[in-house]
Amino acid sequence: MQWESVAPALWLTLQVAAFSTALVALPAIALGRFLARREFRGRSALEAFVALPLYCPPTAFGYLLLRALRRDGPLGAESLGFDLDLLLTWRGAVLASALMSFPLVVRTARLAFESVPARLEQMAASLGTSRARVLWRVTLPLARNGLIAALLIGFSRALGEFGATVIVAGNIPGRTQTLATGIFDALTLGDDARAVQLAGWSALLGFAAVWTSEWFLRRSRRASA
Amino acid sequence: MSGALEFELTLALSGFTLELEHSTRSRALGVFGPSGSGKSSLVEALVGWRRGARGRIAFDGVTWLDSERGVELDAAQRGVGYVPQDQLLFPHLDVEANLRFGCARDDGLVERVLRVLEIEPLRARDVATLSGGERQRVALGRALCARPRLLVLDEPFGALDRPLRRRILPFLVRAQREFAAPLVLVSHDPTEIAAVCDEVLVLREGRLVARGAPAQVLTPGGELDEGFENVVRGRVSAVGASSASVDLGGVALEVPRGSLASGELAVVAVRADDVLLARSAPSGLSARNVLAARIEELVRGPAARLRVSLAGQPLWAELTEAAIDELELAVGGAVFVVVKTRACRVLGASREA
Repeated sequence: MQWESVAPALWLTLQVAAFSTALVALPAIALGRFLARREFRGRSALEAFVALPLYCPPTAFGYLLLRALRRDGPLGAESLGFDLDLLLTWRGAVLASALMSFPLVVRTARLAFESVPARLEQMAASLGTSRARVLWRVTLPLARNGLIAALLIGFSRALGEFGATVIVAGNIPGRTQTLATGIFDALTLGDDARAVQLAGWSALLGFAAVWTSEWFLRRSRRASA
Repeated sequence: MSGALEFELTLALSGFTLELEHSTRSRALGVFGPSGSGKSSLVEALVGWRRGARGRIAFDGVTWLDSERGVELDAAQRGVGYVPQDQLLFPHLDVEANLRFGCARDDGLVERVLRVLEIEPLRARDVATLSGGERQRVALGRALCARPRLLVLDEPFGALDRPLRRRILPFLVRAQREFAAPLVLVSHDPTEIAAVCDEVLVLREGRLVARGAPAQVLTPGGELDEGFENVVRGRVSAVGASSASVDLGGVALEVPRGSLASGELAVVAVRADDVLLARSAPSGLSARNVLAARIEELVRGPAARLRVSLAGQPLWAELTEAAIDELELAVGGAVFVVVKTRACRVLGASREA
């Protein structure tokens, strides 16, 4: 099997996972922080809503995204007045992966913030520190390892995303084909050797990302013990 | 207090309701009581960490809490330097960064705090590597560096064993004098309160059961039986090779010299069971302190004890009923108080009056 037939899917997968992780980082960490420290009515409903991609079929989300992004959809050219140009592009794959990894990043970020003793934040505030400075000087540094783990978990989820991606971005070799969609493509074409190679790379990348996130999670747990 | 601290509080706790009303201008107010008496809840209400308190708290003319008017300043607005029992040092910062955390304007204050609390050698240390006593000094230093209007210490030495507590206490006494910080000290150790405070509130199950000067309120017997220590104050009048003489106000007490210097105000602790009594002036003793006194109070029973006055400062001695009978001790009777120099422990000293 030629490396050239695998490399585009491998690079695109890494690119999609990196961009989707960057896309979810800020909102997911902010929501994780909010859920870690606030009690309010409807909190469990919000948590269930955020976790929707975890227990709904990815194809269902892909379909909803497709409906939203098509010309007459709420995010389509007719509604917005301009074309986001996401369907059948690698950017569409980024959006689909971001959507599917969002709940995992929120959940792990929430745990990271919960591991920071609230009394330390109270102490920082009583020393005359503003809320923003407490967040910057105390909360984020102490939650750092857990937050890195959260982003790595989101990255790993994006590496393996298939169902929503294939509906929104399609499976165009060299343009939108990722490792996951490439395996499906190789399988339907009966190209076992390519499927094995793509699956091997998927497993290797997934293992590296999850193993690294576990390492950061262990450090986070040790620090809060 | 440089200003008056006033509070009138009702706070629902598990099992009982804390109800307190007090107003004081003391420079250092002690809060004493057994575990579960509501001390820490009172502190958290003062500091602004406990929501749901009903009533009123004001300090130096500023209302911190007035539940009727809906006023409740947050902790930062109150300007309280809080030292909790678990210190709450920032684990990702070194000692100096912890001290500088709340220090908005450094005009040499951090260096002064490092020097007074003798934590200069620790400045670059990771706080996780500090001993219990070092952690407490850093926590105290951090609170001082924030230039608090009021320092609130909640069982600051509670997690330390007794010998270590006694080694750390002088730093608190020194910090109080050096930085002239009005403070509230919560403790279940009467020696700490007597060494630092000029007024004490005694709590039991959320109720104020006694208040007054520590020497009058915190006396041996009952819950204070275990190793009661007298605390006396005086000015160092002479310093010898190994001992120093502390003038209690007409009565000289020989104490270990340590780092005392002439003219300093010293706070000295003497355990009640280290105080011996004689009916006539003993001679040929190795003890350096043989002081004439008169018995002012005598308590019989299993925890028999008596109080004499040394230049107006009460000194309790613990003894047995048999000794009282044999020496025919009675209130008003003259006695000689015998205390070894080494039984006197200097808890702190400062130049300030």
